[in-house]
Amino acid sequence: MKKYLNTPIKEIITNFPQVGNILEAYNIGCVPCTLGSCLLKDIVSIHNLPKDQESELMYRIEKVLYPDRDVKKPIIGNLLQKEAPRELKYSPPIKRLVDEHVLIKQLLTLMPKVIANIDMESDFDRQIILDSLDFIRFYADKFHHAKEEDILFEYTDKNLDIIKTMLADHETARAHVRAVFAALKTQDKKSIIENLNAYCALLAEHIKKEDEILYPWIDRGLTTKQVGELFARFNEAEEKMNMEVIEKCKRFIAELAQKVTKLKGRE
Amino acid sequence: MSKEMSKDMCGCPGAAMQDFRGEQETKEETGKRQSQLRQWPLQLHLISPLAPYYQKADVLLSADCVAFTVGDFHKDFLKGKSLAIACPKLDEGQDIYVEKIKSLIDDAKINTLTVMIMQVPCCGGLVALAKEALKAAKRKIPVKAIVVSLQGDVLSEEWVGD
Ligand SMILES: [Fe+2]
Ligand SMILES: [Fe+2]
Repeated sequence: MKKYLNTPIKEIITNFPQVGNILEAYNIGCVPCTLGSCLLKDIVSIHNLPKDQESELMYRIEKVLYPDRDVKKPIIGNLLQKEAPRELKYSPPIKRLVDEHVLIKQLLTLMPKVIANIDMESDFDRQIILDSLDFIRFYADKFHHAKEEDILFEYTDKNLDIIKTMLADHETARAHVRAVFAALKTQDKKSIIENLNAYCALLAEHIKKEDEILYPWIDRGLTTKQVGELFARFNEAEEKMNMEVIEKCKRFIAELAQKVTKLKGRE
Repeated sequence: MSKEMSKDMCGCPGAAMQDFRGEQETKEETGKRQSQLRQWPLQLHLISPLAPYYQKADVLLSADCVAFTVGDFHKDFLKGKSLAIACPKLDEGQDIYVEKIKSLIDDAKINTLTVMIMQVPCCGGLVALAKEALKAAKRKIPVKAIVVSLQGDVLSEEWVGD
Protein backbone atom coordinates (compact mmCIF):
# COMPACT_ATOMS: atom_id res chain seq x y z
CA MET A 1 0.00 0.00 0.00
CA LYS A 2 2.91 2.34 0.79
CA LYS A 3 3.95 2.19 -2.86
CA TYR A 4 0.53 3.41 -3.96
CA LEU A 5 0.35 6.13 -1.31
CA ASN A 6 3.32 7.73 -3.06
CA THR A 7 1.94 7.29 -6.58
CA PRO A 8 0.34 10.12 -8.58
CA ILE A 9 -3.43 9.70 -8.63
CA LYS A 10 -3.77 9.82 -12.41
CA GLU A 11 -1.51 6.76 -12.68
CA ILE A 12 -3.60 4.89 -10.11
CA ILE A 13 -6.90 5.81 -11.77
CA THR A 14 -5.57 4.83 -15.21
CA ASN A 15 -4.63 1.37 -13.95
CA PHE A 16 -7.57 0.99 -11.55
CA PRO A 17 -10.53 3.07 -12.82
CA GLN A 18 -12.62 1.85 -9.88
CA VAL A 19 -10.46 3.96 -7.55
CA GLY A 20 -11.75 7.03 -9.38
CA ASN A 21 -15.33 5.98 -8.67
CA ILE A 22 -14.56 5.38 -5.02
CA LEU A 23 -12.97 8.82 -4.67
CA GLU A 24 -16.02 10.39 -6.34
CA ALA A 25 -18.26 8.72 -3.79
CA TYR A 26 -16.43 10.76 -1.15
CA ASN A 27 -16.72 13.95 -3.22
CA ILE A 28 -13.04 13.83 -4.10
CA GLY A 29 -13.02 14.91 -7.72
CA CYS A 30 -9.66 13.67 -9.01
CA VAL A 31 -11.06 12.09 -12.18
CA PRO A 32 -11.66 15.32 -14.12
CA CYS A 33 -8.50 16.96 -12.71
CA THR A 34 -6.28 18.52 -15.35
CA LEU A 35 -2.94 17.31 -13.97
CA GLY A 36 -3.63 14.42 -11.62
CA SER A 37 -0.09 14.47 -10.31
CA CYS A 38 -1.08 14.70 -6.61
CA LEU A 39 0.03 11.69 -4.58
CA LEU A 40 -2.69 9.47 -3.13
CA LYS A 41 -1.50 10.17 0.44
CA ASP A 42 -1.65 13.97 -0.08
CA ILE A 43 -5.14 13.73 -1.53
CA VAL A 44 -6.41 11.81 1.46
CA SER A 45 -4.86 14.19 3.98
CA ILE A 46 -5.86 17.38 2.14
CA HIS A 47 -9.55 16.42 2.08
CA ASN A 48 -9.66 16.12 5.85
CA LEU A 49 -12.47 13.56 5.92
CA PRO A 50 -13.93 12.50 9.26
CA LYS A 51 -11.82 9.64 10.65
CA ASP A 52 -14.53 7.00 10.01
CA GLN A 53 -14.87 7.94 6.39
CA GLU A 54 -11.14 8.13 5.84
CA SER A 55 -10.53 4.59 7.08
CA GLU A 56 -13.47 3.29 5.07
CA LEU A 57 -12.14 5.04 1.96
CA MET A 58 -8.67 3.59 2.44
CA TYR A 59 -10.13 0.13 2.98
CA ARG A 60 -12.12 0.27 -0.25
CA ILE A 61 -9.13 1.53 -2.23
CA GLU A 62 -6.84 -1.14 -0.81
CA LYS A 63 -9.39 -3.82 -1.74
CA VAL A 64 -9.23 -2.65 -5.36
CA LEU A 65 -5.43 -2.41 -5.46
CA TYR A 66 -4.91 -5.81 -3.82
CA PRO A 67 -7.99 -7.93 -4.61
CA ASP A 68 -6.32 -11.10 -3.29
CA ARG A 69 -5.17 -9.63 -0.03
CA ASP A 70 -7.13 -10.13 3.16
CA VAL A 71 -7.67 -6.48 3.97
CA LYS A 72 -9.19 -5.92 7.40
CA LYS A 73 -12.46 -4.04 7.25
CA PRO A 74 -12.38 -1.12 9.65
CA ILE A 75 -15.04 -1.01 12.32
CA ILE A 76 -17.17 1.89 11.38
CA GLY A 77 -19.98 3.46 13.34
CA ASN A 78 -23.49 3.43 11.96
CA LEU A 79 -23.04 5.09 8.59
CA LEU A 80 -26.69 6.08 8.55
CA GLN A 81 -25.89 8.41 11.40
CA LYS A 82 -23.61 10.45 9.20
CA GLU A 83 -22.01 13.49 10.72
CA ALA A 84 -23.79 16.64 9.67
CA PRO A 85 -21.82 18.23 6.84
CA ARG A 86 -19.27 20.46 8.44
CA GLU A 87 -19.90 24.09 7.75
CA LEU A 88 -16.79 25.77 6.41
CA LYS A 89 -15.63 28.68 8.50
CA TYR A 90 -12.94 30.70 6.86
CA SER A 91 -10.53 33.15 8.46
CA PRO A 92 -11.15 36.78 7.38
CA PRO A 93 -8.54 36.94 4.59
CA ILE A 94 -9.62 33.59 3.12
CA LYS A 95 -13.26 34.64 3.46
CA ARG A 96 -12.45 37.64 1.31
CA LEU A 97 -11.21 35.38 -1.50
CA VAL A 98 -14.33 33.21 -1.18
CA ASP A 99 -16.50 36.34 -1.46
CA GLU A 100 -14.63 37.35 -4.62
CA HIS A 101 -15.45 33.92 -6.03
CA VAL A 102 -19.14 34.70 -5.54
CA LEU A 103 -18.90 37.57 -8.01
CA ILE A 104 -16.86 35.53 -10.50
CA LYS A 105 -19.41 32.71 -10.26
CA GLN A 106 -22.15 35.16 -11.22
CA LEU A 107 -20.37 35.76 -14.50
CA LEU A 108 -19.93 32.01 -14.99
CA THR A 109 -23.67 31.48 -14.53
CA LEU A 110 -24.69 34.26 -16.90
CA MET A 111 -22.14 33.54 -19.62
CA PRO A 112 -23.97 30.55 -21.19
CA LYS A 113 -27.01 32.81 -21.61
CA VAL A 114 -24.85 35.47 -23.28
CA ILE A 115 -23.29 32.88 -25.58
CA ALA A 116 -26.61 31.35 -26.56
CA ASN A 117 -27.96 34.67 -27.81
CA ILE A 118 -24.88 36.39 -29.15
CA ASP A 119 -25.03 38.27 -32.45
CA MET A 120 -21.56 39.19 -33.66
CA GLU A 121 -22.91 41.91 -35.96
CA SER A 122 -24.38 43.81 -33.02
CA ASP A 123 -22.22 46.42 -31.27
CA PHE A 124 -24.26 45.91 -28.10
CA ASP A 125 -23.40 42.19 -28.06
CA ARG A 126 -19.74 42.73 -28.87
CA GLN A 127 -19.56 45.24 -26.04
CA ILE A 128 -20.91 42.66 -23.58
CA ILE A 129 -18.16 40.26 -24.62
CA LEU A 130 -15.54 43.01 -24.29
CA ASP A 131 -16.85 44.02 -20.86
CA SER A 132 -16.87 40.37 -19.76
CA LEU A 133 -13.27 40.07 -20.86
CA ASP A 134 -12.41 43.22 -18.89
CA PHE A 135 -14.09 41.72 -15.84
CA ILE A 136 -12.11 38.52 -16.27
CA ARG A 137 -8.82 40.36 -16.79
CA PHE A 138 -9.13 42.98 -14.08
CA TYR A 139 -11.31 41.38 -11.43
CA ALA A 140 -10.85 37.62 -11.76
CA ASP A 141 -7.21 37.81 -12.77
CA LYS A 142 -5.44 41.01 -11.62
CA PHE A 143 -7.51 41.51 -8.48
CA HIS A 144 -8.21 37.93 -7.42
CA HIS A 145 -5.72 35.51 -8.96
CA ALA A 146 -2.87 37.90 -8.27
CA LYS A 147 -3.68 37.78 -4.55
CA GLU A 148 -3.55 34.00 -4.68
CA GLU A 149 -0.37 33.78 -6.70
CA ASP A 150 1.67 36.58 -5.14
CA ILE A 151 0.49 36.34 -1.55
CA LEU A 152 -1.60 33.33 -0.48
CA PHE A 153 0.42 30.61 -2.18
CA GLU A 154 3.55 32.02 -0.48
CA TYR A 155 2.18 30.41 2.66
CA THR A 156 2.25 26.99 1.01
CA ASP A 157 4.90 24.92 -0.67
CA LYS A 158 4.72 26.02 -4.30
CA ASN A 159 6.11 22.65 -5.35
CA LEU A 160 3.04 20.86 -4.06
CA ASP A 161 1.04 19.36 -6.89
CA ILE A 162 -2.21 20.93 -5.79
CA ILE A 163 -0.63 24.39 -6.02
CA LYS A 164 0.91 23.57 -9.40
CA THR A 165 -2.53 22.49 -10.60
CA MET A 166 -4.06 25.77 -9.44
CA LEU A 167 -1.33 27.81 -11.15
CA ALA A 168 -1.73 25.77 -14.34
CA ASP A 169 -5.50 26.48 -14.26
CA HIS A 170 -4.79 30.22 -14.01
CA GLU A 171 -2.50 29.99 -17.06
CA THR A 172 -5.02 27.99 -19.07
CA ALA A 173 -7.69 30.57 -18.18
CA ARG A 174 -5.44 33.36 -19.44
CA ALA A 175 -4.84 31.47 -22.68
CA HIS A 176 -8.61 31.20 -23.25
CA VAL A 177 -8.97 34.96 -22.76
CA ARG A 178 -6.18 35.67 -25.27
CA ALA A 179 -7.89 33.33 -27.72
CA VAL A 180 -11.21 35.18 -27.36
CA PHE A 181 -9.48 38.50 -28.06
CA ALA A 182 -7.87 37.04 -31.16
CA ALA A 183 -11.17 35.56 -32.32
CA LEU A 184 -12.93 38.91 -31.84
CA LYS A 185 -10.49 40.47 -34.30
CA THR A 186 -11.20 37.86 -36.95
CA GLN A 187 -14.94 37.70 -36.10
CA ASP A 188 -14.53 33.98 -35.45
CA LYS A 189 -17.75 33.33 -33.56
CA LYS A 190 -17.10 29.61 -33.13
CA SER A 191 -13.76 30.18 -31.44
CA ILE A 192 -15.20 32.92 -29.21
CA ILE A 193 -17.91 30.57 -28.00
CA GLU A 194 -15.59 27.61 -27.56
CA ASN A 195 -13.07 29.55 -25.53
CA LEU A 196 -15.64 31.29 -23.35
CA ASN A 197 -17.30 27.96 -22.63
CA ALA A 198 -13.97 26.36 -21.81
CA TYR A 199 -13.07 29.28 -19.53
CA CYS A 200 -16.35 28.99 -17.61
CA ALA A 201 -16.07 25.22 -17.19
CA LEU A 202 -12.48 25.50 -16.01
CA LEU A 203 -13.12 28.31 -13.53
CA ALA A 204 -16.25 26.73 -12.07
CA GLU A 205 -14.30 23.57 -11.25
CA HIS A 206 -11.28 25.60 -10.09
CA ILE A 207 -13.32 27.74 -7.69
CA LYS A 208 -15.05 24.67 -6.24
CA LYS A 209 -11.66 23.08 -5.54
CA GLU A 210 -10.44 26.24 -3.85
CA ASP A 211 -13.54 26.87 -1.75
CA GLU A 212 -13.96 23.31 -0.58
CA ILE A 213 -10.48 21.87 -0.44
CA LEU A 214 -7.53 24.18 -0.96
CA TYR A 215 -8.62 27.16 1.11
CA PRO A 216 -9.81 25.14 4.15
CA TRP A 217 -6.57 23.18 4.02
CA ILE A 218 -4.43 26.34 3.91
CA ASP A 219 -6.61 27.92 6.61
CA ARG A 220 -6.08 24.98 8.97
CA GLY A 221 -2.33 25.47 8.70
CA LEU A 222 -2.26 29.23 9.36
CA THR A 223 -1.31 30.63 12.76
CA THR A 224 -3.22 33.64 14.14
CA LYS A 225 -0.18 35.79 13.35
CA GLN A 226 -0.17 34.60 9.74
CA VAL A 227 -3.90 35.28 9.38
CA GLY A 228 -3.21 38.90 10.44
CA GLU A 229 -0.27 39.20 8.04
CA LEU A 230 -2.27 37.79 5.16
CA PHE A 231 -5.12 40.19 5.86
CA ALA A 232 -2.71 43.16 5.94
CA ARG A 233 -0.95 42.06 2.75
CA PHE A 234 -4.26 41.74 0.89
CA ASN A 235 -5.11 45.28 2.02
CA GLU A 236 -1.75 46.57 0.84
CA ALA A 237 -2.13 44.87 -2.52
CA GLU A 238 -5.60 46.36 -2.98
CA GLU A 239 -4.38 49.83 -2.06
CA LYS A 240 -1.95 49.65 -4.99
CA MET A 241 -4.73 48.70 -7.40
CA ASN A 242 -7.01 51.00 -9.32
CA MET A 243 -10.16 50.49 -7.28
CA GLU A 244 -12.15 52.53 -9.80
CA VAL A 245 -11.73 49.67 -12.27
CA ILE A 246 -12.74 47.11 -9.64
CA GLU A 247 -15.90 49.07 -8.84
CA LYS A 248 -16.69 49.20 -12.54
CA CYS A 249 -16.33 45.41 -12.68
CA LYS A 250 -18.76 45.03 -9.79
CA ARG A 251 -21.26 47.31 -11.52
CA PHE A 252 -20.90 45.33 -14.74
CA ILE A 253 -21.89 42.09 -12.99
CA ALA A 254 -24.80 43.80 -11.23
CA GLU A 255 -26.12 44.97 -14.62
CA LEU A 256 -25.29 41.87 -16.64
CA ALA A 257 -28.43 39.91 -15.74
CA GLN A 258 -30.51 42.80 -17.06
CA LYS A 259 -28.48 43.00 -20.28
CA VAL A 260 -28.85 39.28 -20.88
CA THR A 261 -32.63 39.60 -20.90
CA LYS A 262 -32.25 42.26 -23.63
CA LEU A 263 -30.24 39.82 -25.74
CA LYS A 264 -33.02 37.28 -25.38
CA GLY A 265 -35.88 39.69 -26.01
CA ARG A 266 -34.46 40.53 -29.41
CA GLU A 267 -35.09 37.08 -30.81
CA MET B 1 -23.83 19.86 45.29
CA SER B 2 -21.37 18.50 42.70
CA LYS B 3 -21.34 20.07 39.25
CA GLU B 4 -24.93 21.06 39.21
CA MET B 5 -25.70 24.72 39.41
CA SER B 6 -27.13 26.14 42.57
CA LYS B 7 -29.87 28.70 42.36
CA ASP B 8 -28.31 31.83 43.76
CA MET B 9 -30.28 34.82 44.87
CA CYS B 10 -30.17 36.90 41.69
CA GLY B 11 -30.54 33.94 39.35
CA CYS B 12 -27.56 35.08 37.25
CA PRO B 13 -25.96 31.99 35.70
CA GLY B 14 -22.64 33.83 35.62
CA ALA B 15 -22.56 33.92 39.41
CA ALA B 16 -24.15 30.53 40.08
CA MET B 17 -22.08 28.46 42.49
CA GLN B 18 -20.40 25.32 41.19
CA ASP B 19 -18.10 22.91 42.96
CA PHE B 20 -15.37 21.16 40.98
CA ARG B 21 -13.54 19.63 43.93
CA GLY B 22 -12.34 16.14 43.35
CA GLU B 23 -12.46 16.46 39.58
CA GLN B 24 -8.76 17.29 39.14
CA GLU B 25 -6.11 14.72 38.35
CA THR B 26 -4.07 14.06 41.44
CA LYS B 27 -0.90 13.29 39.50
CA GLU B 28 2.05 15.31 40.80
CA GLU B 29 3.42 17.77 38.24
CA THR B 30 7.15 18.28 38.09
CA GLY B 31 9.30 20.99 36.53
CA LYS B 32 8.86 24.71 36.52
CA ARG B 33 6.86 26.51 33.87
CA GLN B 34 8.08 29.77 32.44
CA SER B 35 5.81 32.81 32.42
CA GLN B 36 4.95 33.97 28.92
CA LEU B 37 4.01 37.45 30.08
CA ARG B 38 6.18 40.08 28.40
CA GLN B 39 4.80 43.34 29.72
CA TRP B 40 3.37 45.34 32.60
CA PRO B 41 0.68 46.66 33.23
CA LEU B 42 -2.10 44.43 31.87
CA GLN B 43 -5.38 45.90 33.06
CA LEU B 44 -7.13 47.59 30.16
CA HIS B 45 -7.60 50.87 32.09
CA LEU B 46 -3.90 50.95 32.94
CA ILE B 47 -2.30 49.99 29.66
CA SER B 48 -1.21 52.46 27.02
CA PRO B 49 -1.76 51.52 23.38
CA LEU B 50 1.43 53.46 22.67
CA ALA B 51 3.56 50.96 24.62
CA PRO B 52 6.15 49.36 22.34
CA TYR B 53 4.98 45.82 22.99
CA TYR B 54 1.61 46.57 21.39
CA GLN B 55 2.95 47.94 18.14
CA LYS B 56 1.94 45.61 15.29
CA ALA B 57 1.47 42.86 17.87
CA ASP B 58 -0.95 39.99 18.08
CA VAL B 59 -2.97 41.05 21.10
CA LEU B 60 -4.87 38.88 23.54
CA LEU B 61 -7.78 40.60 25.29
CA SER B 62 -8.74 38.26 28.08
CA ALA B 63 -11.58 38.33 30.57
CA ASP B 64 -10.12 38.35 34.07
CA CYS B 65 -11.37 34.90 35.03
CA VAL B 66 -9.91 33.13 32.01
CA ALA B 67 -6.34 32.96 33.25
CA PHE B 68 -7.44 31.19 36.44
CA THR B 69 -9.58 28.72 34.54
CA VAL B 70 -7.34 27.55 31.74
CA GLY B 71 -4.53 25.37 33.07
CA ASP B 72 -2.17 26.04 30.18
CA PHE B 73 -3.09 29.68 29.65
CA HIS B 74 0.52 30.82 29.33
CA LYS B 75 1.74 28.07 27.03
CA ASP B 76 -1.31 27.76 24.79
CA PHE B 77 -2.77 31.26 24.61
CA LEU B 78 -0.48 33.97 25.99
CA LYS B 79 2.74 32.89 24.30
CA GLY B 80 3.79 35.28 21.54
CA LYS B 81 1.03 37.77 22.32
CA SER B 82 0.71 41.09 24.13
CA LEU B 83 -2.01 41.16 26.74
CA ALA B 84 -4.85 43.27 28.10
CA ILE B 85 -7.36 42.08 30.70
CA ALA B 86 -10.79 43.34 31.71
CA CYS B 87 -14.08 42.26 33.22
CA PRO B 88 -17.08 43.21 31.10
CA LYS B 89 -19.46 42.59 33.99
CA LEU B 90 -17.94 44.52 36.87
CA ASP B 91 -15.55 47.11 35.44
CA GLU B 92 -16.59 50.75 35.19
CA GLY B 93 -15.87 53.07 32.28
CA GLN B 94 -16.40 50.62 29.45
CA ASP B 95 -16.65 53.43 26.92
CA ILE B 96 -12.99 54.06 27.71
CA TYR B 97 -12.36 50.39 26.95
CA VAL B 98 -13.84 50.82 23.49
CA GLU B 99 -11.57 53.82 22.88
CA LYS B 100 -8.53 51.88 24.10
CA ILE B 101 -9.22 48.91 21.84
CA LYS B 102 -9.86 51.26 18.94
CA SER B 103 -6.54 52.93 19.61
CA LEU B 104 -4.81 49.54 19.68
CA ILE B 105 -6.23 48.90 16.22
CA ASP B 106 -5.62 52.34 14.70
CA ASP B 107 -2.57 53.68 16.55
CA ALA B 108 -0.67 50.59 17.63
CA LYS B 109 -1.68 48.99 14.31
CA ILE B 110 -2.00 45.61 15.94
CA ASN B 111 -1.91 42.59 13.65
CA THR B 112 -4.77 40.61 15.21
CA LEU B 113 -6.99 40.68 18.29
CA THR B 114 -7.97 37.49 20.13
CA VAL B 115 -10.72 37.95 22.69
CA MET B 116 -10.89 35.20 25.27
CA ILE B 117 -13.96 34.93 27.46
CA MET B 118 -15.75 32.58 29.84
CA GLN B 119 -18.87 30.73 28.73
CA VAL B 120 -21.09 32.67 31.15
CA PRO B 121 -23.47 35.00 29.28
CA CYS B 122 -22.24 38.27 30.80
CA CYS B 123 -18.73 37.61 29.50
CA GLY B 124 -19.93 38.00 25.93
CA GLY B 125 -19.88 41.73 26.65
CA LEU B 126 -16.12 41.73 26.06
CA VAL B 127 -16.54 40.46 22.51
CA ALA B 128 -19.23 43.10 22.00
CA LEU B 129 -16.79 45.81 23.15
CA ALA B 130 -14.17 44.54 20.71
CA LYS B 131 -16.68 44.50 17.86
CA GLU B 132 -17.76 48.04 18.67
CA ALA B 133 -14.14 49.21 18.65
CA LEU B 134 -13.46 47.41 15.37
CA LYS B 135 -16.48 49.05 13.79
CA ALA B 136 -15.36 52.48 14.93
CA ALA B 137 -11.72 51.97 13.91
CA LYS B 138 -10.35 53.12 10.57
CA ARG B 139 -8.22 50.01 10.14
CA LYS B 140 -9.71 46.55 9.86
CA ILE B 141 -8.04 43.52 11.42
CA PRO B 142 -8.96 39.89 12.02
CA VAL B 143 -10.64 39.41 15.41
CA LYS B 144 -11.05 35.98 16.97
CA ALA B 145 -13.27 34.97 19.90
CA ILE B 146 -12.38 32.01 22.10
CA VAL B 147 -14.91 30.81 24.66
CA VAL B 148 -13.76 28.60 27.53
CA SER B 149 -15.79 26.51 29.91
CA LEU B 150 -15.73 26.94 33.68
CA GLN B 151 -13.29 24.04 33.79
CA GLY B 152 -10.93 25.51 31.26
CA ASP B 153 -11.83 23.65 28.06
CA VAL B 154 -12.10 25.54 24.79
CA LEU B 155 -15.77 25.46 23.78
CA SER B 156 -15.45 27.45 20.59
CA GLU B 157 -12.87 29.35 18.65
CA GLU B 158 -13.98 31.44 15.72
CA TRP B 159 -13.25 34.51 13.68
CA VAL B 160 -15.63 37.34 14.34
CA GLY B 161 -17.14 39.00 11.28
CA ASP B 162 -17.40 42.77 11.22
FE1 LIG C 1 -7.21 30.28 -8.20
FE1 LIG D 1 -9.68 31.73 -6.62
